[in-house]
Amino acid sequence: MLSVDGLDVHAGPVRLVRDVSFGIGPGERVGLIGESGSGKSLTALSLMGLLPEGVTASGRATLDGDDLVGVPERRLKRLRGREVSMVFQEPMTALNPLMRVGAQVAEVMTLHGRPRAEARERAVHLLGRVRLPRPEQIARAYPHQLSGGQRQRVMLAIALANEPRLLICDEPTTALDVTVQKQMLELIAEVAPALLFITHDLAVVASVCERVVVMYGGRVVESGPIREVFTNPRHRYTEGLLAASRLTPRGTRLPTIKGSVPAAGGFPDGCVFRNRCPHATEACEQEPALTGDGHAFACWHPAG
Amino acid sequence: MILYLLKRLAVLAASIAAAGVAVFAFMALLPGDPAEVALGVNATPEAVAALRTQFGTDRPAAAQFLDWFGGLAGGDFGVSYVTSSPVGPQIGDRLGVTAVLVLGGMAVALLIAVPLGTFAAVHHRNPLGAAISAASQAGIAVPAFLAGILLVYVFAVKAQALPSGGYVPLADDPAEWLRGLVLPWLSLGLVQGAVLTRYVRSAVLDVMREDYLRTARAKGRGALGALWRHGLRNASVPVVTVLGLQLATLLVGAVVVERVFVIPGLGDLLLNGVAARDLLLVQGVVMVLVAAVLLINFVVDVTYHLLDPRLR
Repeated sequence: MLSVDGLDVHAGPVRLVRDVSFGIGPGERVGLIGESGSGKSLTALSLMGLLPEGVTASGRATLDGDDLVGVPERRLKRLRGREVSMVFQEPMTALNPLMRVGAQVAEVMTLHGRPRAEARERAVHLLGRVRLPRPEQIARAYPHQLSGGQRQRVMLAIALANEPRLLICDEPTTALDVTVQKQMLELIAEVAPALLFITHDLAVVASVCERVVVMYGGRVVESGPIREVFTNPRHRYTEGLLAASRLTPRGTRLPTIKGSVPAAGGFPDGCVFRNRCPHATEACEQEPALTGDGHAFACWHPAG
Repeated sequence: MILYLLKRLAVLAASIAAAGVAVFAFMALLPGDPAEVALGVNATPEAVAALRTQFGTDRPAAAQFLDWFGGLAGGDFGVSYVTSSPVGPQIGDRLGVTAVLVLGGMAVALLIAVPLGTFAAVHHRNPLGAAISAASQAGIAVPAFLAGILLVYVFAVKAQALPSGGYVPLADDPAEWLRGLVLPWLSLGLVQGAVLTRYVRSAVLDVMREDYLRTARAKGRGALGALWRHGLRNASVPVVTVLGLQLATLLVGAVVVERVFVIPGLGDLLLNGVAARDLLLVQGVVMVLVAAVLLINFVVDVTYHLLDPRLR
């Protein structure tokens, strides 16, 4: 259904995302994980055509045959909010403070041709569907009268309003309290059509997604079914990431990945991870290809 | 909202009363007795005392104040010691002229600033946007009276297209009324418009970086559609503040511009009053100007509440 093939994102001469390819089937829930600066958010934004000024995407991405990259804004506008929707990280600032919540939900429907009265009515229904209590009252409220978790539910209601084929969530629970986080994740897993879920939280991916794509330095380093990738990581970066997130016995040092993520454009040639990898050799100066069916990885010295 | 409005009205009334005390006290502190001034140096003490009784200036200050301030609400500003005619009607006539002048100037400023400032913000990365910024910067440096003189030179003296000054009442000849006001409006509005353009530009720039504009685009709005529907109202909150301050500035600016264009407004009346040592007239005009500024602040505050639900 969604197919991304050789996606590149540039900011001037700097290549921020390189040759990213993956697919999402109907109803499938895929996690995109990586540290800050790994290019995961840019990948998502380029699928929405919402890259910041001065940043451009190239390559190919299609949603059921509709091109998403390299098409004029006029055509993308018709897909955004109707075929592809997105929930952003920061619920506190993502809603217009001067507009009632119900009107903001209805807007996404009237924009794509639904009559106003019907959209208003459906907005209330949607607010109920994302399990907001007393949706009629919430619809009349202004964003500042709601909590962060409630606002994120409103964002989800907006995203679902036109029954899109793909829902993209960019760290939707990072800014929420842990207790609210769990409810929100369950809700997303329940209502999402096909889902691209971006996060740096491995536990969150494990609870929501079936498949995972691991990004580092703007490239896909490993991808596959979640159980397999998490129990049997092949790429040395994935291995380090999992080790760092595992609970360790009292008194032992927390395992870490040595060094830190380089600034954009500062990644090494060849394997992007080789300057931080304990297993790197001369062979790693050559770029490893992403190989493998189902469970794929790009590493010269795979683990396991 | 109603409660807020009542509170604000109470504050407005109290401020006007306080301003009344201040204005009255200042005028009372000025040296010189109106009766002595009216009768000259050769007057007998008896005649001066009689005139004082007639003016009412022999009574205690508090009584004089209550008399004067109590009359204001009904438009009674007292009777001039100099011309022996009531001050109220004169102020009433002039107030209308000045209001038209100031509001017209503000309208010109808004018509310039909102489109230009928004355009400069949207195109802040290209030369045209930068040029607008630079031009508005230059415009800020020009005082209103100089702009007025330049406009007169170009449009009245060189092009002979518009009158260089004078005022025809609306009732006499609407076309001439309008022709006479074009240059004063422009000279007030151009400079204020330049200032306001910068504020509009920065307010719109701030709003363009807001997450909710990205949300609007994610819903399927274009960049300009999102700005129009979600950005401009948000941007107007800081602009309204500046607008209120500018109206007050314009009121003062009008005093000068009325001189340049020979317009019989409040400023002209004030200067005449000062020249003729007409205390009650000056006192009345100053009171009206102060009250107008307080009223503008009141309107700005109420507008905030209408614009931004977070303040309710």
